[in-house]
Amino acid sequence: MKNNAIARKTSGVEKVLRLALYAVLLIMAFFYLMPLVIMLITSLKDAEEVRNGTLLSLPSYLHFDSWTKAWSGACTGSTCTGISPYFINSFKIVIPAVAISTLLGAINGYVISLWKFRGSDLFFAALLLGCFIPFQVVLLPMAQTLGWLGIASSTTGLVFVHVVYGVAFTTLFFRNFYQSIPGELVKAARLDGAGFFTIFYRIILPVSTPIIVVTVIWQFTQIWNDFLFGVAFSGFDSQPVTVALNNLVNTSFGGKEYNVDMAAAIIAALPTIIVYVFAGKYFVRGLTAGAVKG
Amino acid sequence: MASLTIDNVKKSYGKTEILKGINISIETGEFLILVGPSGCGKSTLMNSIAGLEDITEGRILIADKDVTYTSPKDRDIAMVFQSYALYPNMTVEQNISFGLEMRKVPKAERDVEIQRVAELLQISHLLDRKPAQLSGGQRQRVAMGRALARRPQLYLFDEPLSNLDAKLRVEMRTEIKKLHKKLGTTIVYVTHDQIEAMTLADRIAVMKDGEVQQLGTPQEIYDNPANLFVAGFMGSPAMNFIPAKVIDQNGTPVLELEANTTTAIPFPRPESLKNHIGKTVLLGLRPEMITEPQPHKEGQAFVTTTGVEVEVTEPMGADTMILTRINGAEINCRSNPSYLAEPGSVINMMFDTSKAVVFDPKTGERLDF
Repeated sequence: MKNNAIARKTSGVEKVLRLALYAVLLIMAFFYLMPLVIMLITSLKDAEEVRNGTLLSLPSYLHFDSWTKAWSGACTGSTCTGISPYFINSFKIVIPAVAISTLLGAINGYVISLWKFRGSDLFFAALLLGCFIPFQVVLLPMAQTLGWLGIASSTTGLVFVHVVYGVAFTTLFFRNFYQSIPGELVKAARLDGAGFFTIFYRIILPVSTPIIVVTVIWQFTQIWNDFLFGVAFSGFDSQPVTVALNNLVNTSFGGKEYNVDMAAAIIAALPTIIVYVFAGKYFVRGLTAGAVKG
Repeated sequence: MASLTIDNVKKSYGKTEILKGINISIETGEFLILVGPSGCGKSTLMNSIAGLEDITEGRILIADKDVTYTSPKDRDIAMVFQSYALYPNMTVEQNISFGLEMRKVPKAERDVEIQRVAELLQISHLLDRKPAQLSGGQRQRVAMGRALARRPQLYLFDEPLSNLDAKLRVEMRTEIKKLHKKLGTTIVYVTHDQIEAMTLADRIAVMKDGEVQQLGTPQEIYDNPANLFVAGFMGSPAMNFIPAKVIDQNGTPVLELEANTTTAIPFPRPESLKNHIGKTVLLGLRPEMITEPQPHKEGQAFVTTTGVEVEVTEPMGADTMILTRINGAEINCRSNPSYLAEPGSVINMMFDTSKAVVFDPKTGERLDF
């Protein structure tokens, strides 16, 4: 009986604590979601409503005009094509850049972890340094290099820059993941007669799914969201969406069209949001996968 | 025909010498075990035979062919690893056939070989499973199956049983022995478990600090250890080492034991002790040579009965280990469980020195060879 009484009392306290916990979580969620909510609300108002209403007032009815305009009609500088061509530009940059940097990172990690050579640790340390070099430092030398290579102001040039910058990170990811793969696996495959690439392709790559997901998400987000390289190294027709968004927001005839700006910003952020919504749990799972021996 | 010849193989990393000149030669069908404490170089030697590590000096011959500079896949060997190293993304069947596939064996032949190996190891019902769905013992079988499928000249086993629990280890040990008898394969097997070494090997190479201390049949090594290290490493419980003074008894050197009373015990090769009279040597005596008094042995040449004080007893079922102290050293005796031995009491024990050995207490070398 006494035990029961204690149990009831504790459960009362627990209930209060649980409520408090939910309250805190709700406040946090509200805090983080507010900007997105305001963007969404604003993008669905018409220009009049934006000017007269407050930030948080809801639209009287849903205007999708600003979305259409942002996508295909708004002016970025002197052209008025909306952000759709730049949205596609971004994909043209992101897809090859992510694919190449992920593949290179996987091969690098494979070599550094499982085919150790004299100085491979030093090589890794040097590569790791690449993670800590700020973008701004390489702007000028990179511009020079792109010029020499004849790929300045082109999509290829931007892909190149992102691959070079991304390899440090992707190598780090794969190296850490492969560190947990027993070296005996490679030895066994060598005795079985498999070569360097056969082992990679047939044995190592099939168990790499978690870290491939992590790397792809990371690289996709990084490259998609990049503005600095995009603004510095893109040509007129190879601008990524981040640069176009900036131009769109800074181009105005008369009044500022906040609703169009907001719609464009949401469109520009949509791919990364979608990636996180659908692959977020794999991201967390993949990040911790290397820590426990699978 | 020599299946494997290791000719003065040396290996060093910078200034650290891992292997200091190994010479071993084994015949076709022989089961050789490399045994030694961790860090003795046995795994390095194994990797060198496999070609996974380069050697600094010397030659390795497989089937009388120099393979010192041949890549692992061309040495015609198969290896079973401690972690089994099964390919996690492949089924058991694919694991077994991978090596054949890499060697471009046609599919039909591969299937026949998989069936043969699977039946041999009783893993036919597991062929569709992934390694993660197998128990430790099953993984072990698959790992062996992968090695067997290629029918190589030489099999290398790198501590294959050390990841299994005690019961399974004993079962698999027997299994490996049966398999070897049945297939007559040549095996080099690395272990740090001296019981595994004793039970499985045709010959054992006991290694320490990158050198082979002794190479011989299990019984040779057990009865006639080359030095103190080998004597102490092989056998469980370990051989007793009793510091004993050599004294002259009517012209014959004998050893002096001080237990409850002082006794002089005879040694089977007294002439080897002639130069040591007055000095102390280490007498090596296996626990089973110190027993309760056994009437049928009474009066035999090298049997002495004397009283000792019991410190502790450890009943093991079949025998009871009696711990006592002679000449200041702790001594294990193996007695019949029915022999009454109360801790603290003085009881009679029978010392059979017919298989005794003596070592130099400083260098650890055998004195009576």
